[in-house]
Order: sequence, then C-alpha cells, then structure tokens
Amino acid sequence: MLELRGVSYRYPGAARPSIEGISLAIASGEVVGLTGANDAGKSTLCLVAAGLAPASIGGELTGDVLVDGASVRALRPNELAGHAGIVFQDPGTQRSGVTGSVFEEVAFGPVNLGWPVAESVAATRQALRALGIEDLAERHPARLSGGQAHLVAIASILAMRPGVLILDEPTAQLDPEATGQVIGALKAIVAGGTSILIAEHRTDVLAILCTRVATLKGGRVVADGPTVRMLADAAPADGAPQ
Amino acid sequence: MAQAQRSLAPEDVELLARLAPAAPTAYHRLNPLTKATAAAGVTLAAIVLGGYVVPVALLIGVVLPSAAAAGVLRRVARLSLAASAPILVSVVLVSVFTRAGTTVLFEIGPFDATLEGVDFAARITLRLVVVAMALVLFGLTTDPRSLVADLERRGVAPRLTFAIAAALEAVPAMVERTRAVAAAQRARGLDTEGSVGARLRGIRPLAGPVVLSAFAEVEERSLALEARGFGRPGHREPLWTPTDSPGQRAARWFVVAGVAAALAAVLVAQAAGVLAGLP
Amino acid sequence: MIRCDGVTFDYPDGTRALDALDLEIGAGERLAITGRNGSGKSTLVRHWNGLLRPSGGRVFLDGSPTDRRRVAELARTVGIVFQDPGAQLFERTCRAEVAFGARNVGLRGPALDAAVEEALAAVGLANAAGSNPYDLGLAQRKLLTIASVLAMRTPVVVIDEPTPGQDARGLGHIRSVLANLVAEGRTVVAISHDRRFMTESFDRIVVLDAGRVLADGTPAEVLRP
Repeated sequence: MLELRGVSYRYPGAARPSIEGISLAIASGEVVGLTGANDAGKSTLCLVAAGLAPASIGGELTGDVLVDGASVRALRPNELAGHAGIVFQDPGTQRSGVTGSVFEEVAFGPVNLGWPVAESVAATRQALRALGIEDLAERHPARLSGGQAHLVAIASILAMRPGVLILDEPTAQLDPEATGQVIGALKAIVAGGTSILIAEHRTDVLAILCTRVATLKGGRVVADGPTVRMLADAAPADGAPQ
Repeated sequence: MAQAQRSLAPEDVELLARLAPAAPTAYHRLNPLTKATAAAGVTLAAIVLGGYVVPVALLIGVVLPSAAAAGVLRRVARLSLAASAPILVSVVLVSVFTRAGTTVLFEIGPFDATLEGVDFAARITLRLVVVAMALVLFGLTTDPRSLVADLERRGVAPRLTFAIAAALEAVPAMVERTRAVAAAQRARGLDTEGSVGARLRGIRPLAGPVVLSAFAEVEERSLALEARGFGRPGHREPLWTPTDSPGQRAARWFVVAGVAAALAAVLVAQAAGVLAGLP
Repeated sequence: MIRCDGVTFDYPDGTRALDALDLEIGAGERLAITGRNGSGKSTLVRHWNGLLRPSGGRVFLDGSPTDRRRVAELARTVGIVFQDPGAQLFERTCRAEVAFGARNVGLRGPALDAAVEEALAAVGLANAAGSNPYDLGLAQRKLLTIASVLAMRTPVVVIDEPTPGQDARGLGHIRSVLANLVAEGRTVVAISHDRRFMTESFDRIVVLDAGRVLADGTPAEVLRP
C-alpha cells in the first residue's frame, strides 16, 4: 500500500539528513506505529510518507516512496491528497480558516478534489459518523474544544477516503474520552481497508491499534516488529515507548 | 470516483441551505455582485455628478428604500453617520471658513463663514453621507463567504478567493489569540493595569506572540492545506453558491452603462466649457 | 494556601462555569485537577491569580482574599503555565524568555541570572539558553514555558497539561521539576488528563464536573480502574 524504500531526507539548509536509509512498508489494513524520542525523525518520516517532503518544503530526498506500487516522488502534494492523508498534531493549524461550519470544513478536502456535491456530502457525513461528531456539523470550526477540533481535523482527512492515513501524535492533546473516540474511529477505519501509519508515544494507544511498531533513533529504524514483542522489549530510558 | 452518480437527499438539501449564510430578506438574497454593483454605482454617481439633486435623488430613490427593504435602515443610518462624522466635522469646518467667497454670513475671530463655503460644505456632506450609507448597506447585507463563493463561481482563481476569505476570517481569530496572550503574560506578572509607561512596555509581550506564532504557523498551515488538495487544478463543486438571475444581470449592466454614460456626459460637458470643472 | 469558598463563576453569556465550589489546598501540597472538557478546570485556576473574578463566593490566597488585588501582584504568589506556548513566546532567546517573568516579579542582577539558569537546567534546556525558542520543537517549547514560571520562584506553581507531547526525556524533566518544587516546600497543582502521570506523581486528585468538585482523594480512591 505505502512503501518507503531506502529513503533519506535532508531538510533545506540542514547539514545532515533527518532520516536515513528508511525502508518501511505498510500493507493494506495494517496499522504501523512509529515511536522514538522527539527528535528521532518521526514527524519527518510522516511528512515524507505523505509526499509533503520534499514537494512542498524543498530539501533532498533519496530513495523512493511508492503508493500502491507506483512511485509518487514526482507528484504534487495536492495530487497525492486522495492517496495518503496526513493529520498533524496541532488541530488549529489544520483549520482552513474559510469555512463557517464543521460540515463545510470537513467537506473542504472532497470539494478540492473536484468531487460532485452529492459525493462530497456523502463522504462528509460518513467521516463525521466515523468520528462520532455528527452533532458538531453546524458548529463554527473555531469554536470547538481542543479535543473536538482534533476529531474534526481527522474527519477532514478521512473524508477524502485516503488509502493510507498518516497521523502525527493524534492523541497528544486529547482527554481520555476523546482519545477513546479517536481510537474507536481509527479501528473502524482500519476495518474498512485503510492503512494507518501513526507516530505515537503512548503505549496504551499503540497496544490497542497497531499490528507492528517501528522505533526510530537518530533518524534510523532501529527496531521493527509485532507490537507485542516491541512493547515488551521497550527500554524507557532512551526515549522508546513508555 | 468509480461510483454511480449520487443525488442529494432532501435532508442534505436542507442542511446545505442552512450552511449557506443567513439571508433574511429578498435584498439579502440578491447576488453579491449585484449588491456590489449597486454600492459602486451609487458611490461613483454621487462623487462624479455631485451637486444637490443627484445625491438626494440617490439617497431617497435608491439607498434608503434598499436599506428599508433589507430591514437594516436604522443600523445603516447609525453606522454610516458614526463612521463619517469625524471626517465630516473637519471637512465642514475647513470648507465653511476657508473657502474663497464673497458673501460673508458671520465671523468667528479672524475666520469668515461664507455662503460659498457653506454651499460647498453642504454638497460634500451630502456626497459623503450617501457614499457611506451605500457602502455600509453593502457590508451589512453581504456575507464575505457569499462574496468569495460568487467570485470563485465567476472564475476568479481559487487561491486568490481563499486568500481574501482567510484574511476576513482571520480577524476574529486574532482577537481570540490576543485574549489568550494577555492571560498568559499577565500570569507571568505583566502589569496591564498600571502606569502608562508600564502599558507601553507591555506592547511587545502582548503583540509579539501573536505575530510570531502566526509566522511560525504559516508553514504548517500551508502544508495542511496542500494535504487537503488545495490548489489542485481543475473544476471544483462547492457545497453551495449564491444564485444569480438574468434580471439581476440586466440590472447590473444597466447600472454600469448608466454610470459610464453619466461620466462621459460630464467629461464632454467639461471639455465643451459648459461645466466649470467638478465642484 | 489556596481556599475557594463557594466560588461561582458565570461567563458573560450566562453559562455557569463554576458552581459554589469549595476547595482547600494547603501549603506544600501536591495536587492534580482533572475532569472532562468544560468541567471548569481552567476557569478555576484563573481565579487564583485574579485573571477571573468570582461572580459569587470568595478566593483566599495565603489567608487573605484576592478581592482587590491586581493580577500583577497575585502573579508573585501563583504562577500559572498555560497550555499553548505560542500564546506567550516573544523573546529572541530562551534565556530572555525565561527572564521575562522573573524580572516582572522583581528579581534583578545576579539573583535574576541564577533563577534563569536554574530554571533552564531544571527542564533540560541549559544548552539552548541562547537559542531562539522557535528553533526548538513543540515539546521543548512547552518545557520552556514551564521554566519561565519556575524562574519566578512563586510559592504556588500551576501547570496546565504538562505531559502531552513529551517523550521519555521530557517526562523525566517534569517529574524531577515536581519533586524539586515539593522538596522546596512549594505548592504544586497540575491540570491533567494523563492517568498514568497523575497516578505516579500525585497523592491527591480533585475531579471536577460541571463546575463542582465531584471527588477529592488519592488516585486509588478517585480514578476509575
């Protein structure tokens, strides 16, 4: 579904690559967790997997990124939008800022993809239902609590029906109730055939969701295996999951 | 999307109608471009044609009836007078007392109030009031999102319409931000209730975070937009668009033609020496 | 140290955020406040430094009411770290950022420098003292905001959600910061949703619901298994 082959990426102006020699494959229906200390390269890997690096932010990429077997290196991010969707940690920056309701906000992606209105509406309704936020449909996007805003951000990406959903620390700012909702939604999404790559510190989230966990350290994958084994082996001191 | 063409269910149609900006009167429901043309037409006509007759006619014949039809007459009057009062006061004072003229009405110290000055001031006042009212009426009856959606429907580049819409919506967000910033800085001992000097020193800690976080967010904001397909070439089908009609289209052209003709007539009359220049 | 006596707070639009809330926190205590979104946690702590004034009831700080005392004065007793670093960072270096609060409460010269260096070291940012805060990652910027209140040396330190986004190293710093504050006899309050953090680091947890205290006791008593 999504594969990184020997990927190294250096930010523009940086002396060294932030991630090196990454080979990681996410098959259909898999949920792969990504752990490591805050500067280990998790976010960078997410940006590369989503096609935003280097296409949107410049920098240098070596290796290849493939979606469904085809290289996406040459694609612009807005062409990749329907294939790999990324949700960042801060829901505030993901708000488009031009919509007056949550419904329109979630529909922003489908409309951008050029879908007919009925299709956009259907996809939006599905996404709102999956995240359990149908009652927020007519609320103004700027007037939501942190947890609600995060659920809307995830719904906004889900509405585009990506094959792979990439999440960079989705539960970091959420309370237990909202975390439970997000985890439930993600499980349903996986059951529907979407693959997930999730960068996450929290072992409880990883344990419930992930089939595999890869650990990053210093920009390289230092361990990659089934969740149960990875969490059992984890040593908290060096930034691995606690 | 390899799916059969879907059609909208009745509850979807109702939802989309609720999502579009509220339009309580028929005037509100006019196409944004129509309302913009009306405001621009009145403004140009009042300024170019000047005098007494034209502004009064525009006021009584166009602006006030429209405001009444839209149910915003009192608000338009209040807001436009409040907005134009400062300028009006200074313009009137300057005109009345310094305009060259022969008939002196009264004196205050070394200043003479001339009839010509009062006449000039009256004409300027009329124009300013008409223009202010026309613009306020437009602002009160047109939701920025409708305007942007209509511009996009007419082919204006999505990136441009997005920039306009985002700028308009950014203002309330900034206001919220400044409140959060004030709370955080006061919690760190910043004194916002003290001397003038203290308050001046508070400008940087209060403004700094708003500006800096806006800049810091720009990159992630644009990445998030791209990830949602923003800027993708090709046709977009927005959830709702403002309606237009042949009648409104004709009316707009009529206004444009009318104002253009008036402008041409004025220029020709000036060139022929009939008018001694615009007042 | 902090006493809330039947504190009620209504927002301008009429919503009641706090409902005759009674709470007493002794000096040197270490306490976590938790509850659903909208239960009144942030609203409550803002009454302690005067950012919000009660619609009913009274707030006492170290025995005296907060009634007519300015925020700038109350901030010398209660230091609050809010959730969003972006709402407060404005200086060009981490050192200057941390010094801001300390200077506001009257520290100068060598005492100021010492407070700043100590605070930066406590959150593991000693090496970043000369760096621009925006060159740090989000989690480190959060630690920086904690340092900026630590340097104020307030008797009471309140932190709104210290743990989200922190990796193991960051969590280690937060744990040692808490331990040091308690060892110095200061009162520490954390607003949190992090069950594990609360269970490990606090003996007393107060659960708020709809503006009232729903439960108040040890983690074992209060948190659902």
